[in-house]
Amino acid sequence: MPEFDSTFADAGDHDLIEGFARVVAVEGGRVWLEPEQTASCGTCSSVGLCSIGKDALTASKLAARRFQLPGDLGLRMGERVVVGIRDDALVKGAMTAYGVPLLTLLAGGIAGQELGGGDNMAVLGAVAGLVFGLIVSRLLANSLSARGVLTPRFLRRTFDPPTDADCHMDHG
Amino acid sequence: MQHYLLLIISAALVSNVVLMRFLGLCSFMGVTTRVDTALGMGASTTFCITISAMIDWGVDRFLLEPYELGYLRTVAFILVIAAAVQFTEAVVRKVSPTMFQLLGIYLPLITTNCAVLGVNLLMVEGRMNFIESTVFALASSLGYSLVMVLFAGLRERIALAQVPRLFAGPPIGFITASLLALAFMGFSGMSTN
Repeated sequence: MPEFDSTFADAGDHDLIEGFARVVAVEGGRVWLEPEQTASCGTCSSVGLCSIGKDALTASKLAARRFQLPGDLGLRMGERVVVGIRDDALVKGAMTAYGVPLLTLLAGGIAGQELGGGDNMAVLGAVAGLVFGLIVSRLLANSLSARGVLTPRFLRRTFDPPTDADCHMDHG
Repeated sequence: MQHYLLLIISAALVSNVVLMRFLGLCSFMGVTTRVDTALGMGASTTFCITISAMIDWGVDRFLLEPYELGYLRTVAFILVIAAAVQFTEAVVRKVSPTMFQLLGIYLPLITTNCAVLGVNLLMVEGRMNFIESTVFALASSLGYSLVMVLFAGLRERIALAQVPRLFAGPPIGFITASLLALAFMGFSGMSTN
């Protein structure tokens, strides 16, 4: 049985969405990690021509997605680890970031149309609803972040083969 | 109220943007290997389609139509979609940096998603008012998200099934998509737009 020092106290209750990350900085016992280059689509042979491939390869984009792991995990610079979040975190995140503003936008637009009776009032109502929804969304996101729902957790170290390992090509 | 209900059913199910109008097929095949990625992509696309439809309605009504610039519609809409995606990215980053790490990866893919442009052009073709346009865009994108999640769930199960070697991979994916489209044809006749 391999050593499993995950920071997920309740990992057994939920499925986890896993991803790879590399340690890029260690500051006072806390580690900063950078997710590995991934594209949101499966990519195709035209990946070099579209914005997806270019975006996935941009170092600044990866740097913008750096995150910190809580607790002293004893990780070293350059170490590759598996991190994860609970599968319901994505649903909660999507509902908070997108669902709430869309609902308030629609409610504001309908209210504007019903009160004013025209498109101009509906537009004003929708914009006001969107702004209100974004404020509510931010408050909810802060609440989720404070509870650590959206924070990726350390699951395990990955096995890196030694650099001087032989690669046997003589099979078959 | 009944009018809006019919509009929602029509846009989301009867004239589904993926299975009936064949828009957004790239992301439909590319991002549906897992339910969680399909869900993230669907949610991001829903938000961007609705926001861009709102702006495009204004651009068309107050700029393109009065000055008879209809021939610039496609170019103008593409510009608005790109701006809406950038706006969404900035908003998500501002609302919560951790949420941006979670959902931000899907946003660049939306810029090149033809479903976004398609919904906006259909909205103009339908000569709708502002609320109708917004409801149509929201319902169309919810239909897109529904199909994405359904298809991702099917593909997750297919990945565990024993598929004949010649059908493994994309072929069985296309066959499944066609069966899903046939299933959605069952909604036709409920409402038309």
